[in-house]
Amino acid sequence: MSKNLLFKLLALTIAFSLTLAACGGGQQAESTCPEPEPRMEVTSKELNLFVWTEYIPTEWKTCFEEVYGVKVNHDEYSSNEEMYAKLSAGGTNYDLVQPTDYIVGLMIRQGLLQKIDQSKLPMSTFDPNYLNLPFDPGNEYTIPYQAGTDAIIYNADKVTNPPKSFADLWNPEYAGRMVFLDDSRVIIGMTLLTLGYDVNTTDPAQLEEAKVKLAELVPNVKLFDSDSPKTALIAGDVDLGITWTGEAFTANQENPAFTYVYPTEGAILWQDNWAIPTGAPHLDAAYAWINYTMQGNMFWLMLRDFPYVNPSLAALEYAKENQPDLYNAYMNSPITNVPQEAIDAGHRIEDVGDATPLYDRIWTEVKGGE
Amino acid sequence: MLQRLRENKAWQGTLLALPTTLWLFFLLVIPLFLTLVVSFGSRSPDGGVIYGFSFHNYLRLMGYSTNCPGGQASCFDPLYAQILWRSLTLAFWTTVIVILLAYPLAYFIARSHPRRRNTFLMLVLVPLWTNFVIRVYAWMMLLREQGVINGVLGWVAARLGLSFEPLQMLYTPGAVLVGMVYEFLPFMILPIFTSLEKIELPLYEAAADLGANPFRTFLRVTLPLSMPGVVAGTILVFIPVMGTFIVSDLLGGKQVILVGNLIQNQFLSARDPTFGSAASLILMIMTLIVTYFYTRKFGFGEEIIAA
Repeated sequence: MSKNLLFKLLALTIAFSLTLAACGGGQQAESTCPEPEPRMEVTSKELNLFVWTEYIPTEWKTCFEEVYGVKVNHDEYSSNEEMYAKLSAGGTNYDLVQPTDYIVGLMIRQGLLQKIDQSKLPMSTFDPNYLNLPFDPGNEYTIPYQAGTDAIIYNADKVTNPPKSFADLWNPEYAGRMVFLDDSRVIIGMTLLTLGYDVNTTDPAQLEEAKVKLAELVPNVKLFDSDSPKTALIAGDVDLGITWTGEAFTANQENPAFTYVYPTEGAILWQDNWAIPTGAPHLDAAYAWINYTMQGNMFWLMLRDFPYVNPSLAALEYAKENQPDLYNAYMNSPITNVPQEAIDAGHRIEDVGDATPLYDRIWTEVKGGE
Repeated sequence: MLQRLRENKAWQGTLLALPTTLWLFFLLVIPLFLTLVVSFGSRSPDGGVIYGFSFHNYLRLMGYSTNCPGGQASCFDPLYAQILWRSLTLAFWTTVIVILLAYPLAYFIARSHPRRRNTFLMLVLVPLWTNFVIRVYAWMMLLREQGVINGVLGWVAARLGLSFEPLQMLYTPGAVLVGMVYEFLPFMILPIFTSLEKIELPLYEAAADLGANPFRTFLRVTLPLSMPGVVAGTILVFIPVMGTFIVSDLLGGKQVILVGNLIQNQFLSARDPTFGSAASLILMIMTLIVTYFYTRKFGFGEEIIAA
């Protein structure tokens, strides 16, 4: 390459990046961020979020930083247990966390959460179906974020005889073609359901029975994956399995052959929530964050980015008016718009206290036994 | 003061070792001691630690169980011993295969022209620039049912007019072994290379002069002199393989529980830090015992420092 050409290339690169910078600047001038309603008084300069991996739209962060001038830091976790371990070890200074229903009671008992002030929160924007649930009666500590189910998914192109219940998964036809969540409570729980027992039982005899039954099934499971079970499904490594709402919806959008089935025993229902840890240093920013992101013109982004069951009436209303395609996809899919009978038949995982190691023991044995 | 320090060799030594000593004290000795204390405690209903002095966590690991199917007061439960044994055999086979693959390559590099030697060593090191987990994901792309390997095989089979059924490679024990060997190969090549490179050529000439054929020379000269490298490599490979679980989780589809998984589960889903601490210490003790006997037999790998 001659020196001359090199120089020209360099000049071109500089010119190009200047143009890009100019464009970027132009975008910043005409902001697309909605105004906060109401604008709250925030004196804090920072907000520390501790959230699930890939679970908040990026616009929320940039817009909140822009309208309130607060720097948003965010750490991520990939399991409730990880979040719990970190908070209970102490020394953190998070302002908001996203615990799932079953771990909320434990966190309250351990004094890890503080009571929330409902008068400062947009309570009227929530669908009442997601409020006042058994894990936090009266919503003293939490408000809903996203909900969903754990149920069966299958590829209609490959599975000719689709399962209707969890019990059907024991069908030898499905051997070596299944992906399960790597979650002891969900998988042992669904086995308990097939035996007609409670999903939160602590009775050692019932658990023993479930262990024997599950041990027959585990060799038929090709893989356990709680990070991204849809990957193995879409890649064609497996044809059916147990997965959760968001994964099922995405897989179904990718290939409509992926069908989600609410089993006859009833699916597992769950709900993620916002909560404020004890000793949160930036309370004002935390309340402002929730109010701002729960606005319909902000929360609709969840429909676009993270298609789970959406508890925000405001967001659905906004989407209906302004994003009809998203709204229709959401409303027409039984994966996200869960039929009432599936909700009625559903079960919720609860903390089992002293029986927790027993569940782990069973899980270790069914996976690790020879 | 400075004058005295300059003259006092013992003081200089102490002072030079001070940063590392403090580091090890705060980041190794104290955490280990805490682990020991916790391992003697028992679990509270919410997953906290009730401090005490009881060996029940260790007994449970050894197979003592009070939760017996027949209703007896106590019985033998082989589950945790099986998991330890499985981790041990996996680590053993990984190490053996890694030695068998690494030795010829290290030999080849050590005997190659000095100008090319650095290039070869670089090629061994280049994969380490990419994150460990990302390389495992790359293996997943290769081994999938509709992955690269099956794709190529299928294409070749179609050209030859053969029928082809995709091979089931991912999420099998074989995939775990391949992944383990791949990840730890460089840690064996480098120490073996270092010890082979140090062997001086006149030694071979002497062996030839004394009538040894190449095979005998290898057995009596090369192999014994390169053993420190093999020992160092074994320590560098065996110990991490014993505790690892990422490879088996991703390539094995989480169907198998190894010691590493067992410990991780205790601190997360089971919320039983006391049992987890006991399992960690048992893993450490087991590794120490194996390493101790191994190094007593073959000498401690000086090459570990060189590598």
